Amino acid sequence: MNKIALVAWREYMENVRTKGFWIGILSLPLIFALSATVPFLLTKAKDARTYAVLDHSGFVLAEVEKKILAEDLRVILETAAERYRDGGKAWERLPTPIRDTGMVYVSLDQGQRQALVLALALIEADPSLGDEIVARVPELAAGLAAWWQRVSVEELDELDLELSRGRYIRVSVAENNQAVLNQMVNSGELFAYFLIGPDPVESDEGCKYVSSNLTDRDLRHWYEQRVSQVVHAKRIERQGIDPGVADWLQASVRFATRKVDKRGSEEEISSVDTAKQWAPIAFVYLLWMAVFVNSQALLTNTIEEKSTRVIEVLLSSVSPFELMAGKIVGMAASGLTVVGTWAICIGVALVVVPEFLGASDNSLGGIVLDPLYLFSFVFYFLSGYLLYASFLVGIGSVCNSLKEAQNLMLPIMFPLMVPLLSMPLISQDPNGTLARIFSFIPPFPPFVMMNRAAGPPPLWEYLATTALMILTIYLTVKGAGKVFRIGILMTGKPPRMREIVRWMTLEEGHNPAEGDAG
Amino acid sequence: MSFSTAVDLEDVWKRFGSVEAVRGVSLHVPAGCIYGLLGPNGAGKTTIIRMIMSIFFADKGRVAVLDGQQALAVKDRLGYLPEEKGLYKKMKVGELMTYFARLKGVESRQARKLATEVLERYGLGEWWDRRCEALSKGMGQKVQLLVTLIHEPDLVILDEPFSGLDPVNRDLMRDLILQMRRDGKTVIFSTHIMEQAEQVCDYVALINRGEKVIDGALSEVRSSGGRAAILDYDGDGARLQDLPGVVRVNDSGKQAELFLQEDADSQQIIAALLQRVQIRRFDLSEPSLHEIFIRVVGGTEDE
Repeated sequence: MNKIALVAWREYMENVRTKGFWIGILSLPLIFALSATVPFLLTKAKDARTYAVLDHSGFVLAEVEKKILAEDLRVILETAAERYRDGGKAWERLPTPIRDTGMVYVSLDQGQRQALVLALALIEADPSLGDEIVARVPELAAGLAAWWQRVSVEELDELDLELSRGRYIRVSVAENNQAVLNQMVNSGELFAYFLIGPDPVESDEGCKYVSSNLTDRDLRHWYEQRVSQVVHAKRIERQGIDPGVADWLQASVRFATRKVDKRGSEEEISSVDTAKQWAPIAFVYLLWMAVFVNSQALLTNTIEEKSTRVIEVLLSSVSPFELMAGKIVGMAASGLTVVGTWAICIGVALVVVPEFLGASDNSLGGIVLDPLYLFSFVFYFLSGYLLYASFLVGIGSVCNSLKEAQNLMLPIMFPLMVPLLSMPLISQDPNGTLARIFSFIPPFPPFVMMNRAAGPPPLWEYLATTALMILTIYLTVKGAGKVFRIGILMTGKPPRMREIVRWMTLEEGHNPAEGDAG
Repeated sequence: MSFSTAVDLEDVWKRFGSVEAVRGVSLHVPAGCIYGLLGPNGAGKTTIIRMIMSIFFADKGRVAVLDGQQALAVKDRLGYLPEEKGLYKKMKVGELMTYFARLKGVESRQARKLATEVLERYGLGEWWDRRCEALSKGMGQKVQLLVTLIHEPDLVILDEPFSGLDPVNRDLMRDLILQMRRDGKTVIFSTHIMEQAEQVCDYVALINRGEKVIDGALSEVRSSGGRAAILDYDGDGARLQDLPGVVRVNDSGKQAELFLQEDADSQQIIAALLQRVQIRRFDLSEPSLHEIFIRVVGGTEDE
């Protein structure tokens, strides 16, 4: 085996054994899993909010209560219908009133189901339900109401029903006394209370939301929305407007989005198109992370090798360039392992999961496995990594500790922020002026070109930027080789950036370092 | 043996910035000997060694090893133990030995075999599967030394091999150096402690401030300093002055080195001594390397 390969192999094996490597591999799926579950869990973990309502209008509270009940009933009955269809334990665990009503619910069509919900919530009885069912409504409603009164939040949780009843609990207050309510808010007994003005239909004067928590606005929005709906209905009624007319008046204008295909005709936009526009952003993030983490690891590892004094023993067996090249290649291999594992994970997740869930549209998986994206990703990882790795391995070779390296790294890591910051702009206009200019300024091309994949850029730009990258990499690796050769045996204070740049211009064989001459 | 000259340096110069580290040094190391590169700290020994190993390149002059070759071309036949040495802490001892052997061009299976043998022979067999960071300092030094020798090099270069070694390893090192000469290999080592060189070297070169002061076979170098005698005594050191035929006395309290005139009569000196101090030993010899060094560089040794 050639010596570069030997060094690379050792580097790879040692890296694969570190915790950092496995953390790197697992981080991505973990982040995905966490971002999918944590917000959900957090909402679940939030305490139920208790609130009270002082209604001076005389009708709003009762109307809103009915509305909330109707919403919850709908959720309950939809869930019941689903569980009835699936059968088994989940259905049997539901309380009897729900199962009774659920049986009726499943026998109805979509419009009748809505009517049944409204009838049960005592909002209006719709004759379209048919006499038989209308006759049963009072009995069913009574059963549900009795259960509704007695059921606790914990029981609702156990039944796994997502109801507003579980999140917001209204406390009835007997007295019409704000001072008492303020006291309750202060003591934490109440999260908040609402005051409803004497005539909300006329104006919202006198409507207030009182709470000591000003950051969590969910309850306010939720209640406000429902009060508004009730008040809107009343206003429409008061003006004698036909509800159908009212809906029409309120309907906004929506533009249907279309794109033009290659032959110039108009085409509907599929989820694939949308995903294709967004996928590069995900890829750029991954790319950025992979480049950053791996080149950083190379720096740490070079400094470690230097500080443990293994370097000189190595240099009696391999040339400085072989050593450097081996290290870069070894780390690239471990980086590719991580990136490859990610790609496979994402591919599997996007192809298998939708199929498993029975979705017919398999567009996302198709994008990840799109050779343009996949090939670009691997290629741009390699080129971005090589560029940064050669910078950092050079810096690592002149430093004796990470602390020393940090000062030298700043001007090199700073440009790495630019592609991240310009990402939204480039995504919006992948073939715009900014995107095209950035594609030709090293070290941006790998990130910017990946970012532009949705465009996609013309072939000549791919070729030109690739040629530019290869040239840049050639120069930086060569420069890094010179710095490495001189720096790796240096002890003491690291040289200034200017001094390092001077080394790069030196002929082979010179050694300007003022090392120890022992 | 396939070569007759192990190392050949001809008028080699090396400058680091404003410092002339090596100034016109020429050395000739014949094959199959133990060669000592002596001099105080900062004399330029490490720089010379690094140039021999092609880690540094001379600004001027010619450096050749194994009959006129570049060290780069014959790296696999050289063994090098730098003064600053370390091991990969996270690697297992066996893997490390195998890795370094392979870096020296030994084929994979053979490298494993050599590593196993060497570790067994030097009592580190059960360490094959344990990480280097678990080694004690002394064992670490032993492993480092074995790493240098595992590929059975023809020429071994050791930079300050004895510094920092515990007494057990110091003996092991000396034995290994002697063993290598018996096996027909060439050993070059540097040291700033003259006594160590005197014990084992066939040839020595004294280096001071980047220049070669004197070199040659140990006996030649020593006899160039004239005649001397070692005296072990009890009594007043002040009374050793003005002995007949003695040029100068280097008195250490219980032992003194006497430097004699070319034609001095040792019997006469002993007779004079008998009247002044209690003699425990009187040994006619050549001056020590230390004395020669002091004499040649004019007492500027900055240890």
